[in-house]
Amino acid sequence: MATVLQIRHLSIGYPGLTLAARLSFDIDGGTTLAVLGANGSGKSTFVKMLLGLLPPLAGQFAWPAGRPREIGYLAQMTEFDRRFPIRVRDLAAMGAWRGFGLWSGLDRAGRGRVAAALDEAGVLPIADQPLHTLSGGQLQRALFARVIVQDAPLILLDEPFAAVDQTTESHLLSIIRRWRADGRAIVLVVHDLSSVLDHCTHALLLGGGVATHGPVESVLTPTRLVAQGYLSESQAAWMFRAGAANADPKVAHG
Amino acid sequence: MVDLLTEMWGFAFMRRAFVATTVLSASVAPVGAFLVLRRLSLAGEAMAHAITPGIVIGFVMAGLSVMSLLIGGLIAGVGVAVLTALLARKTILRSDASLASLYLIALAAGIFILSAAGSAVPLKSFLFGSILGIDDASMILVGGVATVTLVSFAVLLRPLIASTCDPVFFEAQARHPMLVEQGFMLLLVLNLLAAFKTLGTLMAVGLMILPATAARYWSSTITGQLILGFVFALASCWIGLTLSYVLPETPSGPAIVLVAGGFFLISLLFAPLGFGRRLRKRQTGQDLPALSTPNAPERRTR
Repeated sequence: MATVLQIRHLSIGYPGLTLAARLSFDIDGGTTLAVLGANGSGKSTFVKMLLGLLPPLAGQFAWPAGRPREIGYLAQMTEFDRRFPIRVRDLAAMGAWRGFGLWSGLDRAGRGRVAAALDEAGVLPIADQPLHTLSGGQLQRALFARVIVQDAPLILLDEPFAAVDQTTESHLLSIIRRWRADGRAIVLVVHDLSSVLDHCTHALLLGGGVATHGPVESVLTPTRLVAQGYLSESQAAWMFRAGAANADPKVAHG
Repeated sequence: MVDLLTEMWGFAFMRRAFVATTVLSASVAPVGAFLVLRRLSLAGEAMAHAITPGIVIGFVMAGLSVMSLLIGGLIAGVGVAVLTALLARKTILRSDASLASLYLIALAAGIFILSAAGSAVPLKSFLFGSILGIDDASMILVGGVATVTLVSFAVLLRPLIASTCDPVFFEAQARHPMLVEQGFMLLLVLNLLAAFKTLGTLMAVGLMILPATAARYWSSTITGQLILGFVFALASCWIGLTLSYVLPETPSGPAIVLVAGGFFLISLLFAPLGFGRRLRKRQTGQDLPALSTPNAPERRTR
């Protein structure tokens, strides 16, 4: 698959605080990159740099096919105003932001695209409900519908499963699989080692002032997770104990 | 009643007041709606006070002309807005504390200068408005501000919706996200200046906030919020002006804002998104969906 983004010698952090330095790797279409790290390790900072909201401390991004007009983005829900008086349908339509005319709304094709996205995310039956009536899972589905509408080659999801139940998580993961099969690149910030990693091809582990990138199996080893401060030794021993039910099958033992 | 209306309509100053506040209602309704939705209700109030010294200095230097009002008020309003943003960004103070500090200084300075200059304008009409004060130039000011506001809203409406509902998403998508915020603050200052003659500096923001909060209790859509906000603002102005005419000692500002307050209380008690929802629930015994569920997990990454 074609490379969507080349990251070269990137330093993550803020002026006076470097969280990870000289990071170089490619993000290809058809891959899912899991970004892991302890609190404050720079996961969201990395995503904000990809979006252009924060400048890199050093290094650069190269876009072989040009910077996409649209980068799919789902932020953490902390700053979202759920009492805002719009319907689920309008929220999803925000993804077609650039398709609006100055004076007019979406055209027929655009409205069709929004309806199809709502259907795929499983919220078409509640499309005309105001946001304040939704549960956490329904809202996250609506936000996924907005990312579907964005139709972007690169999709950034910042802890999308933090407040949803297992059924919703599994439905949203099926959408992520479809995106990957379409050849899109997905960057997924995850907070804990879970079965979500089964759906990721690559991992970026941040912490301890360094960043490790590679296939999931080679990055998320107990030794590395401990060395980069993500797990304590006892936590690693417990999680990676032989036959542990909660140890992720894809995470390498070593 | 008919006699009263005929008598009132016979006075040119009353006709002017009715026309001016009708146009004003159309202009302040969308600004008020977004002040409330953007959680800037109190910032709007503070800004109304912050423009006082500009208006006073303009008045002392050039008399109570529309141009002195507009230029003085704009300089003071934009100055305070820019300084607030600067202090919030460059110092430890958050924007609410910065704005509060600056508007208090500005308001005190405005009243101090007005008193020290021994002005001929009664302080009461300056602070609370007067229906006698609306001349042709004021009408032009209100009309101009309303035109600028409504045309700007046609362009800014969608960016404002996106940036209010999901600021992080908007910031990631828009090329110049700050433009929307700054444009909105400029519209706020312009509308406060347009409302100054009728409502006074202390009451101007009342016509923005109360109709908008009342409308919020009835409507779950932006369109409904905007239309109802306008209807409440218009009704408040017409009834308030009539009250101010019937009781000649009462300034028009508080009369209009009190009526708007009445609409707020009625909406609070009976509207579906106010206590009306609970009353209906008690009558039907139905379980209604929660207004809001906790959805803000602790921010765990940076």
